[in-house]
Amino acid sequence: MSVAFADTVRSEWTKFRTIPSNIPTMLTAVALMVFPGALTANGASENYQAASEATRAVFDPTYISMYGGFLFAQITVGALGVLVVTHEYATGLIRTSTTVVPRRGRLLGAKVATFALIALLMGWVSSFGSFFLGQAVLGSGGAPTASLGEPGVLRAVVGMGLLWALVGLSGVALGSLLRATMSATTVLVAVNFIIPIIGPRLLPDGVGAWVQTYWPIQAGLQITTTVQNAERMLPWPGFGVMAAFTAVLLIAAFALFRSRDA
Amino acid sequence: MIEITDLTKRYGNKTAVDGLSFNVHPGRVTGFLGPNGAGKSTTMRAILGLDRPHAGSVTVNGRAYVGLPRPMREVGALLDARAVHPRRTARNHLLCIAQTNGIPAKRVDEVLQVVGLESVARKRAGGFSLGMGQRLGIAVALLGDPKVLLFDEPVNGLDPEGIKWIRELMRGLAAEGRTVLVSSHLMSEMAQTADHLIVIGKGKLIADIGISEFIRQGSNVLVRADDQERLAAKLTEAGGTVLPGADGALIVTGLEARQVGKAALDAEVVLTELTPQRSLEQAYMDLTRDSIEFQASAA
Repeated sequence: MSVAFADTVRSEWTKFRTIPSNIPTMLTAVALMVFPGALTANGASENYQAASEATRAVFDPTYISMYGGFLFAQITVGALGVLVVTHEYATGLIRTSTTVVPRRGRLLGAKVATFALIALLMGWVSSFGSFFLGQAVLGSGGAPTASLGEPGVLRAVVGMGLLWALVGLSGVALGSLLRATMSATTVLVAVNFIIPIIGPRLLPDGVGAWVQTYWPIQAGLQITTTVQNAERMLPWPGFGVMAAFTAVLLIAAFALFRSRDA
Repeated sequence: MIEITDLTKRYGNKTAVDGLSFNVHPGRVTGFLGPNGAGKSTTMRAILGLDRPHAGSVTVNGRAYVGLPRPMREVGALLDARAVHPRRTARNHLLCIAQTNGIPAKRVDEVLQVVGLESVARKRAGGFSLGMGQRLGIAVALLGDPKVLLFDEPVNGLDPEGIKWIRELMRGLAAEGRTVLVSSHLMSEMAQTADHLIVIGKGKLIADIGISEFIRQGSNVLVRADDQERLAAKLTEAGGTVLPGADGALIVTGLEARQVGKAALDAEVVLTELTPQRSLEQAYMDLTRDSIEFQASAA
């Protein structure tokens, strides 16, 4: 990492931590992940008691402990990613930033690196937090539990943190492409929440199944499972789809950021 | 030293800057004047690499701004003082900008002192008055202790004390041998601050002139005499232009007061009044009359 890039990353970290609401919002995202996750786990352990043998066979305590909370937390993480860029357009600070760092790629690169690291660390705090709390809740409810030593479990919990980083970066990319908080957040919520979560209930069956399997965030969530559903993608290929989607958004963001007047 | 050569910038079909060339030299305050929409801000943005020109080149100390490894150490700019996150403190605002160029926090505290904001350094910038915001914007420009400074409309909305402070600051920076380019659409402001003027209109250069030369060109002399016709003929002969003024007075341009007095002596007329007038505002208006984009018409 060049000195100039390291300086720009340091500046981006200062920018992030000196907006008073950012760190509390990040901690809220962690809480949104861990506590609704525990509620979901509690509901799942009750359902487990009444479930059929077939349902019990695909019970995935790792996934259940994290998925419910992630639905809420990912909106906050993505929106924070959007704001990291759009607050500079809203205040006009972007002109100062591009003046003092005329290399546009370096400036956006530093934003991406800084927020990726923040989202990744907070993602791991959340994924491990919701995993351990979820297992405790499941165990006390009489449902099976998982431990990190079992096959695929550590990959799933670590992968959840990686997914946080990707969702955050899709927010950064959308913020940079659209340059306005409201439109970027709307697109983000549509892409990562409404289409994949609500879409399958509204769309024709065939399209709905396709969305559930291949839509980036749905494919990416496969990395957080330890029981493979035959109709869905495998963990790493699924994660690869989400990573590729995020990469495409970022490449477009870099290309436009370089060519547009600030 | 800023060198601008054949700069052209269009936005859509509209040409904002049209083949503009001029140099800005160190050691003096150069006023950058023109009516609103003349292309001043576009030119400043092009100097800083914020807008890409369609043609021409801009260099700062012989290099393109975008190629400077530590741009804040060479060029400081005040573009829009309100471009501050309202909930960030003044010190943190300066700190995150300073860090991009490896400027230490110690320098942040220094510039806060220079602009007189040290007592509100840890207050949120959103609560600042216009004048305090302007000082914060100037602090950003000074962070890297640069040899070249650009100020876009720095006195807009300031109180007289703030205007005086900025004026003295700019003159001080120029006296230290720095290159100072300051834009304004007010001639009266420039007359008190600038040593040199660059006047543009509709994206083209109108004048590149020393302030004393501009004042000399812009001045006129009001005279009254017992025989106005004879005096007028003599003044015209001496190279002046004579126009009728109020209450039968003559307005002479192109001659200094001493030359008007000499003409009166030669014409053997008795002067009852001789008043040198300096209407810079008028001279500026004359200069840019043809290049004002939105002009109110007489009803």
